[in-house]
Amino acid sequence: MTHPTATDEDAVLADIAGLLTALLEDEYGLDDVEIGMATTFNRDLELESIDLVTLAGLLEDKYGRQVNFAEFLAGMEFDEIIDLTVGRLVEYVVHSLKAAEAG
Amino acid sequence: MAMVDTGQLRLHVQRMGPRDGRAATATVVLVHGLLTDSLASYYFTVAPAFAASGLDVVMYDLRGHGRSARPSSGYTLDDNIDDLEALLDRLEVTGPVHLVGNSYGGTVAFGYAARHPQRAASVTLIESEPATAAWSVKLGGILRRVLHELAYNETDALTWINAHRGHNTARLAKGAARLARESTLARDIPASRVLTEDRIRAVRCPVLGVYGGDSDLAELVPWLEELLPDCRTVVVPGHEHSVLVEAAGVVGGHILTLIDGVRSAEAVAR
Repeated sequence: MTHPTATDEDAVLADIAGLLTALLEDEYGLDDVEIGMATTFNRDLELESIDLVTLAGLLEDKYGRQVNFAEFLAGMEFDEIIDLTVGRLVEYVVHSLKAAEAG
Repeated sequence: MAMVDTGQLRLHVQRMGPRDGRAATATVVLVHGLLTDSLASYYFTVAPAFAASGLDVVMYDLRGHGRSARPSSGYTLDDNIDDLEALLDRLEVTGPVHLVGNSYGGTVAFGYAARHPQRAASVTLIESEPATAAWSVKLGGILRRVLHELAYNETDALTWINAHRGHNTARLAKGAARLARESTLARDIPASRVLTEDRIRAVRCPVLGVYGGDSDLAELVPWLEELLPDCRTVVVPGHEHSVLVEAAGVVGGHILTLIDGVRSAEAVAR
C-alpha cells in the first residue's frame, strides 16, 4: 500500500478549492474567498448543510462513486462536522482514490 | 442537483440507492422539519445506511426550504401533502412507501398516510405528531414567537442566539427569519385543516414513534399507542428535539427494524 504524497494532496486541494469557489459564487455571489487546508466549511466559508449536499454531488461528478461524502460525514459526530476542514476532506478524497486504485 | 417540477413548483430531490447494483427492496421517503431544517438532516445521517441496507431513499426539500422554490404563499399542511403526492407521482413511485418524518415532516408524512392509506407501508414519526387541534394551537404559538421575537427583531435575536446557541444556530435562524418574514408560512400552518381522532385511527399501517427522553413530545407516547391500531414507540434517553441528528445510529436502527418487520410480514402473507 502506498501513502498519499504531497503532490496528490496539492492536486486534490486545487480541485476542491475550485469546486467550492464555484459553489460560493453560484449560491452567494462570492468571488474572492481563499481556500486552504485549514479552512473550515462552517465558520470560514459559512456553508450550510444543504451546501454540503451540493458539494457531495460535485465530488461524485468529479471523482466517481468511490468518493462518498455522505457516508464520510454520516460516520462523524455533529461537532466534528461543524469543525470540518477542507484539509480533512482532501485527505479523505486522496485516501478513497488510492483505495480504489489498489482495488 | 436534481430539481423536480411538480407542475406547481420546483422541488429539490436527492435519491440514494443500493450501490452494488441490487434492485431496491422498498422505497423510503424522508421528510424534514420546519424553518431551520432541510433534507441535509437525513443526507448526512441515516440515508447512507438506509441505501446500504438495500432501500431506495427519496429525500426532498419542502417548499420554502433548502434548495426548493420559495413561493410567498401556500404553506398549509395540505399544500405540503399535495407537494409530496405530486413529487411521488413525478418520480413514478407508485407502490406503498415507508414514510419517515422529523418534527413537522412527520406531520406531513402522517397526513399523506391518512389521505392515502393504501400508499403507506409504514410511518415513522420522529419528535412528531399527527395534526390535531392541540398541535395547531401549539404550532401557532411557536410560529408567533418566531415572527415577533426573531423575524421582526432579527438583529437582537441573532445576537442572543449567537452568544447562547453558537454561530451555526444563528446562521440557521437567519434563514428561518427570512422565510417567516417573506412568506405566509407562519399564518398558514396554524390555519391548516387538522385530522379527527377517527381519521388518525384509520391509519392502520405500522407506525413507529421516536422521541427524545428530555423532549416534551415524549408525553404523547400513551395517547399515540392508545389511538393507533399498530403503533410502537421508542424514547431515546438524554436527547431532546434534535434526536435524529444527535443519535442518528440509534434512530436509523429502529426505523430499519420497523421496515424489515413490515417486509417479513408481507412475505408471510404471500
